[in-house]
Amino acid sequence: MPNNDRYAYAVGRIRAMETRLLDRGKIDRMVEARSAEEALKVLGESEYGEYLADLGSVHQFEKMLDAELRRIYVELRKISPEPDLINFFAKKFDYHNLKVLIKANKLAEKRDELLVPEVGNIPLAELIRAVGDDDYRNLPSRMRQAAEKLSELLRLDPDPQLVGLLLDRAMYQELEDAVDAQQSSFLKGYFTSLVDLINIKTYLRVRRANRPKDFLQQALLPSGNVDMNKLVQLVEPLEVLVDRLMFSPYAQVVEEGIQMYQKTDTLTRYEKLADDHLIKYAKQAKFVTFGPEPIIGYLLAKENEIKMIRIIMVGKINQLPTEEIKERLRDVYV
Amino acid sequence: MIESMTGLSLAIVGAALAVLLAGIGSAIGIGIVGQTAAGVVTEDPDKFGPTLLLQALPGTQGIYGLLIGFLILQRTGMIGGTPMEISMAEGWLFLLSGLPIAFVGLMSAIAQGKAAASGVLLIAKRPEELGKAIIYAVMVETYAVLALLMSIMILFGI
Repeated sequence: MPNNDRYAYAVGRIRAMETRLLDRGKIDRMVEARSAEEALKVLGESEYGEYLADLGSVHQFEKMLDAELRRIYVELRKISPEPDLINFFAKKFDYHNLKVLIKANKLAEKRDELLVPEVGNIPLAELIRAVGDDDYRNLPSRMRQAAEKLSELLRLDPDPQLVGLLLDRAMYQELEDAVDAQQSSFLKGYFTSLVDLINIKTYLRVRRANRPKDFLQQALLPSGNVDMNKLVQLVEPLEVLVDRLMFSPYAQVVEEGIQMYQKTDTLTRYEKLADDHLIKYAKQAKFVTFGPEPIIGYLLAKENEIKMIRIIMVGKINQLPTEEIKERLRDVYV
Repeated sequence: MIESMTGLSLAIVGAALAVLLAGIGSAIGIGIVGQTAAGVVTEDPDKFGPTLLLQALPGTQGIYGLLIGFLILQRTGMIGGTPMEISMAEGWLFLLSGLPIAFVGLMSAIAQGKAAASGVLLIAKRPEELGKAIIYAVMVETYAVLALLMSIMILFGI
């Protein structure tokens, strides 16, 4: 049994911090608010309160969410006895930034506002330099290989889809390496579910776009439990997929998600259910006294919370009906 | 070395073990609770009082160990008298009398530390449930008390 006593301080802090997460009541009050301004006001009594004064208008709510995300990563990096645990979750920001930068540099799609500074493991300046000089030597090996290959491919065929395809693949490979190094069965379980749910979604998308089988093979991530390549053919009806996954942990997600997908032709419901599935998994961390689980659980809860605020605020600003916002909302961790 | 050992030195080994092991257990137990409590108090300084109460719980094993060590020394005349001439057989009995609290003290203090640390996490979320958190941790105390009792009974049976 590994000695998890070194997590004692971290878990003490996490449990106290968890009391300040937004609960269902606050989320509901935000959804029921009559305007975006009113929804934002609900956050006044929460951890987001300190940012509200600096916000010029409700349209700048992203600034608040970015600041909170940064604060959480900075704080958890300080608390966690195992920094790699936080670095694991921060990798997605490195890859995200790299994607934005490569698209800006090679495909002239300048979207600087999408960059996420000071959260990832690699300083943004280093990424900008790497992409600018086309020199990826200082990057982690998986990222470097993908970026080098990408830069070659883009010269021949400037297809923006390639950027996501190659870098996502590299990221999940890097994450898989990191999961194996962490030796936490909780993290491994989370990662496997995450990959499986993404692969099911990829399958649905590829199917809808009428792409051939070898494209699907390329787009699927390798590290899940469910092998979509073998499980179901692209030509078979979707009911076959639901049937085959009947006894997997994703049965409910797939059944309801695909039903709504066939009815509405969007994956919104599936995405919500997939997120709920992952949050439900993360909730197991509540029953662990000492270990990495509570830290991971809190990080996921916070990211989920930020996502929910974004859904509500976008909905409110665009004056969507309350019911429609509710349908998209995720489960809460607390 | 064995030839030069007397019954008295065996008795002292018994006293030392009781204090040593039970004390180590208490130190580890209190340490775990302290770390957890520091985490909670960082976020919420008002919780100092209740967490301190929980932190003190695994400390009793060390005290029980000291009590047995003290009683052994007293019964053998090391404290408050002249050291007695004790046979090897009697010396072994004194040594054995220290063992229940030594070993049970060591393990139960660590276990109690973990229970108390979980109690600290409990009151981080629900401060009104302090009583329940204490009860859970105190349940472990039972076995330290039983070991203390057995140590005393052996000691006074000699």
